Amino acid sequence: MEYIGLYPLFYFPQIGSAWLMGITGSIHIMASHTSVGAALLFAFLAHKAYKEDRPELYDYMKKYGMFLVIFSYVIGSITGPGIWYTATAASPRGISALIHNFVWVWATEWVFFIVEVIGVFTLIYTIGKIDRKTHLKLTYMFALASVSTLFLIIGIISFMMWPGTEAWYQTGSASDAFFGINTFPHMFLRIGFMIVMSAIIGFIISSSLKEKELRIELTRKLAVIGMIGGFTVMMSFLWYIQTLPQSAWDLFHDVLWARDGMTRIIVVSIIALYLILAFALPRSINTVLAVVMMLVIGVIGVWPGEKMRESMRKPYVAGRYIYSNQLIARDVPGKHVKSEMALVAEKGLLKLDPFVPDHLRTITPENQLEAGKLIAKIACSNCHSLEKGAKFRPLPDRFPQMDTATIETILTDVVAAGVRSYIPPIKLPTDETKALAAWLATQN
Amino acid sequence: MDIGLVLNTLRDPAGVPFYPIVFQALYILTWALHIAFVLLALGSIPLALIGSAQKAVDENWKKLSTHMTQVAKISVSLLIVLGVAPLLFTQVIYDANWYVTNTISGLWVVAFIYILILAYSLWYWFYYANRNNSPIAGIIGIVSFVAFIGAGVLMHAFANESIQPEQWMNWYAPNGVVDTSGTVLHIDILRLAFMVSLSAPVTGIFLLNYVDYTSKCDGYTAEYLAFVKNLGKKVAIVGLLISAVLFAAWVLTLNMLFNPLVLAIVLFVLILLFMVIKESNSYITTLVLVVTALLISTLREVIRMNIMSKYGYSIYDYPMNIDWPTVIMFLSTFVCVGFTGVGFMLTLAWRAGRTKGLYTADGTVTKLANATVGITIIWALVFLAWGLVVVFKNTL
Repeated sequence: MEYIGLYPLFYFPQIGSAWLMGITGSIHIMASHTSVGAALLFAFLAHKAYKEDRPELYDYMKKYGMFLVIFSYVIGSITGPGIWYTATAASPRGISALIHNFVWVWATEWVFFIVEVIGVFTLIYTIGKIDRKTHLKLTYMFALASVSTLFLIIGIISFMMWPGTEAWYQTGSASDAFFGINTFPHMFLRIGFMIVMSAIIGFIISSSLKEKELRIELTRKLAVIGMIGGFTVMMSFLWYIQTLPQSAWDLFHDVLWARDGMTRIIVVSIIALYLILAFALPRSINTVLAVVMMLVIGVIGVWPGEKMRESMRKPYVAGRYIYSNQLIARDVPGKHVKSEMALVAEKGLLKLDPFVPDHLRTITPENQLEAGKLIAKIACSNCHSLEKGAKFRPLPDRFPQMDTATIETILTDVVAAGVRSYIPPIKLPTDETKALAAWLATQN
Repeated sequence: MDIGLVLNTLRDPAGVPFYPIVFQALYILTWALHIAFVLLALGSIPLALIGSAQKAVDENWKKLSTHMTQVAKISVSLLIVLGVAPLLFTQVIYDANWYVTNTISGLWVVAFIYILILAYSLWYWFYYANRNNSPIAGIIGIVSFVAFIGAGVLMHAFANESIQPEQWMNWYAPNGVVDTSGTVLHIDILRLAFMVSLSAPVTGIFLLNYVDYTSKCDGYTAEYLAFVKNLGKKVAIVGLLISAVLFAAWVLTLNMLFNPLVLAIVLFVLILLFMVIKESNSYITTLVLVVTALLISTLREVIRMNIMSKYGYSIYDYPMNIDWPTVIMFLSTFVCVGFTGVGFMLTLAWRAGRTKGLYTADGTVTKLANATVGITIIWALVFLAWGLVVVFKNTL
């Protein structure tokens, strides 16, 4: 018996399991970006409080810190491993590829997590209890540790898009994988957004301050900080899109921007207007508005952006060598990895997947539809919902009112031929293609 | 299904980037650290809740409740961050086990995250509600505790499922019908009960540490310290006895009662019992507890290895592609940043906690602070320079 390393499938109806990862990921991004941005803001405020002898700023920091602990270090620290959890359920070979390339990078990031978590509690609970110079050093260390966690994760996320050059495929070295051509633009893009988020969260605390002058001063300063962050985001984004692989650029330019471009412009305008309002009329930023705007910016700013980035990665899920449906698409000599595509074309998914029940390994007229459904799940469900009219990319809707023969032709001449650059060009044996087509014909 | 063939096929084709035994050792070490804070959280939460219920009639319980609420808060934060490491290392050498479990229990895996968020958020709510004497504080605390227990049970179930490869296909496709709902969940009640019972001795010995530390601080009466000491001693002794019985019952089901590692654990439990009864130095007792935790962590790993070896799976023959640059990065960061940073903060917190009024850093703490900031700056600069060199090397 010959197998390939496919895992059992977890499929969440209507939205697909991969989107569960997107939801957890977006929550995590909002919380974690806030935490790093806030760490930088902390260092800035502590520096100012110490140099200008402004004890009132420490009260602000304490309030901000408590909010940060609850918001970022509860939600952020749980959803961080949460991304791993949902990714392992939805994309086991994708996350496995990242782990087996970058385990030491993640272990290094873990060291900084430890420093960060102990740091945030020490930082908050020692305000007013230790000398200010030592507290200032603590805030510097906390900010550096937080930014370092960004440094360490950014290359891994960038690798998910692509390693940038051919080097890693040949050497297998994690540093060639980590430092791709879009790692640095991606890093600055994230730093910029973190700074924006630290201001957006900061408004919630500054707007609740009773002392009017301090409230105005801090709101204005946060607005300026937010604008600097926003400008960094804009410039880095322009740099970032220049470093995308061709298929991602094509998808971004021809499909995603045409569809979502105006929405993105509106989002940026809303954030810019909000920051301008905070600077020009700081008293107008009350706590209710600040909370509402945080949620609005969090939802409309993070979710569509992450959705776009996830889409641009298609048909790959990691390093442009593993397809979203977990099949290995190309050789990676540096890691002794071999493409599985020729084997799949010859023997089919049902024979090679270890978790297929024995009675489905050979297709018969009696089990054709059952086999077709399982093939659809294995080959398509990472990107497509399998229910007609479902929320995310419903597969049956792609074949409206078509009969088996027409669907089979499309599967062979369009999908398997690689005409659509964002769909894995998977060639299947004829009986599996027929079974898939037959099942799809019953669904549309 | 040829389970051995499947297990070996499921290994990541990229291999492991270092000697598997190192990942295994790191797994054992970091799991022990993680579980220590899991147990402390599970033990301190009920104490905080009892204290909250008793606070109107007993000043001692009132004070203890406040402190145990904080202990639970910080323990949960630490158990999460410390849990990341074993999570990482197990995926490297036991990827087949980890990923199969997470796919067949996918829905529970996703639910686990949100249950934990709910539990922890409610605990913060309890903290504020209890402080403000809200009448619903107790209910919030209890719901939080139940949610924490629920998250713990799920985590246990995942570990339990991962070591039963012979069941995977039955669970995933019962009677040949594939089930992709991810709703599989299987618990080993004896193993779970033993692990949970350990929260009593861990919390009891922590209370003894607490007494030793706070006895050097201002603001704690002798009566309060005696109350906590007595409570800690009782909790530790009763907890050790219950854990010992459950442990014996569990290893009996595994036919490992006379395994040398099991006997060593029994011996250490007896030593702990003796030390608690004799009121030995609580910090030394804690060290013995740490060794016991490491032995239990090792036993878990031995059980897993025995099961996996039955199917012809050995982590030691996992294909290797050593990646020296990142190995060096981890080791240098762990030693330089980790030790100085954590050392600085813990020393600072320890000394500040014992100082009445403002603590001004002495020479040692100042040196540690300067070293930590300096090392972290150098770390960031080296990292960025390394990145630039790689990018230029590969693109120019």
